[in-house]
Amino acid sequence: MTIRKSTLSLCAALLALCSASGAIAGETKTKPIMGIPASSVAAFGGVDGIHNWVESLFYYIMLDNRINYIFKEFGNVDRQIALNTQLEHMVLGGPNEYQGASMSAAHADLGITMTKFNAVVEAAYNACERNNIPYYNCNDLIAALAPFTRVIVTR
Amino acid sequence: MKRVRLGGLRLLQSAALLVTAVCSSAAHADWYNDGKVLLTGGVFTVDGAGGGGAVPWATISGYETRDGINGSAAFTYVNLPALQVSFYGVNVGFYDRLELSYVTARLSLNLSNVDLVGLLTQSLNLGDSLGINAWNNTLQMDTYGAKLRLFGDAVYTSDSWIPQVSLGGLYKNNMSKDLVHTLGANKNKDYEVYLAATKVLFPISTLVNYTARYTSANEDGLVGFGECSGNGNCTNKRKIRSEVSIAHLVAKNTAIGGEWQQHGDNLDGKSLNLNGLDTQGLASLLQNLGLGGLSNSLTQKKEGDWFDLFMAYAPNKHISFVVAYLMFGNISVAPDQNGFYFSTHLTF
Ligand code: HEM
Repeated sequence: MTIRKSTLSLCAALLALCSASGAIAGETKTKPIMGIPASSVAAFGGVDGIHNWVESLFYYIMLDNRINYIFKEFGNVDRQIALNTQLEHMVLGGPNEYQGASMSAAHADLGITMTKFNAVVEAAYNACERNNIPYYNCNDLIAALAPFTRVIVTR
Repeated sequence: MKRVRLGGLRLLQSAALLVTAVCSSAAHADWYNDGKVLLTGGVFTVDGAGGGGAVPWATISGYETRDGINGSAAFTYVNLPALQVSFYGVNVGFYDRLELSYVTARLSLNLSNVDLVGLLTQSLNLGDSLGINAWNNTLQMDTYGAKLRLFGDAVYTSDSWIPQVSLGGLYKNNMSKDLVHTLGANKNKDYEVYLAATKVLFPISTLVNYTARYTSANEDGLVGFGECSGNGNCTNKRKIRSEVSIAHLVAKNTAIGGEWQQHGDNLDGKSLNLNGLDTQGLASLLQNLGLGGLSNSLTQKKEGDWFDLFMAYAPNKHISFVVAYLMFGNISVAPDQNGFYFSTHLTF
């Protein structure tokens, strides 16, 4: 626990350093086989819309007893909302401005199972519904995020 | 005395503890899992395997992920002009890797011409081993299945064309041996092997599945396997037949789609086999009775491939409903069988 806290502050310090010295992204775009349409960012309502979606996502995550305790214990919701907005903007076709850790580094020690990952997927669909993002557009985002299971799901 | 009572109490206590442990583990057992995303386990096929309506998919049935086990039960009712079938089945998915299934089918035929043959053969004492009952022709078939996921991921590897691929086996035991033989089939029990490949294409919200099935079945085994010609020559040639399912998700809980299942031609053009003498032998008899047209109508038509259009709706992870329109072509002596399909799948 203490170790994690210190890694977090170390990360934060590094992050400050990195952003000071220009963005070095810890994560790259996924490349879904069928591609993500160029209109995806607009379909989500631009960067603001994506930010709203991520807020809704965390609202539903924190309501879900199967996973919320992990975020309470190891996460930092405000920071994750900011970083996820950057990440989702990137995978939907926006510029690569992601400043967080790589998906493998961020989730390596969390012991995330497929079941827990799917709980986040359910929250993602709920967030789309809540934000009136059509199901088909929502699936573009799901397609872009799904391959991260390889590194996020470690059990 | 006190010691004994204390001991008894302790026993009771530990028994109670055990009961609560068992009960709570039944409710939240380590092995129990329902973590899959809605509809990604498929529904219940008439073969008991997870998939669409008729076509088994590479997905493992139930809502378990690789973290646990999930079971399900299903009821399916098929209504065609010439026959009705009820399917009752169960299956269990283990760790999103292995699936075991069982389904029993009850089919009732209402073909007046076949019934008439039953009536004739019974009243004329031509024999009672045809499996034809004048008023109530029912068939029963049990299907046992196992499916093993070999490689690939249908849902999560959206950055790769590699589909999820599974190998399955079905053992079908048609209890209506006599009727199946009368209808010209060789065997009433046989196995089938299939290889299925499934992929969800998120950007078009569509699941596509291709299955290759190695089989000699007539109408899925409901009319047995292989064929016997009038002179007693019987064969059971298994062939690879193709099957395709396409399911388009219009919402996270609703899919619409269609299926195609290739069928064989074992019984095409065969007349009913009435104790060795086929219906042609009966023809003169029928002619005398003024029923000359009957022998023609006892010749089996070309077996049609199965087509269906379906809609699946899963309000939650415990129940889903499928309604379908079936286009099954000719079945045995009955031409152009179009009808309806209703199925409900309960997941625990
Ligand atoms: C595709 C799905 C997911 C995406 C895109 C995602 C994205 C992110 C991002 C961008 C971060 C911030 C990394 C950083 O701090 O630099 C993060 C951290 C985190 N994620 Fe995820 N995540 C996903 C799935 C999950 C799941 C399924 C869980 C748990 C059930 C989870 C739990 C966490 C936690 C606890 C942290 C904080 C880790 C830390 O600060 O040490 N994530 N995730």
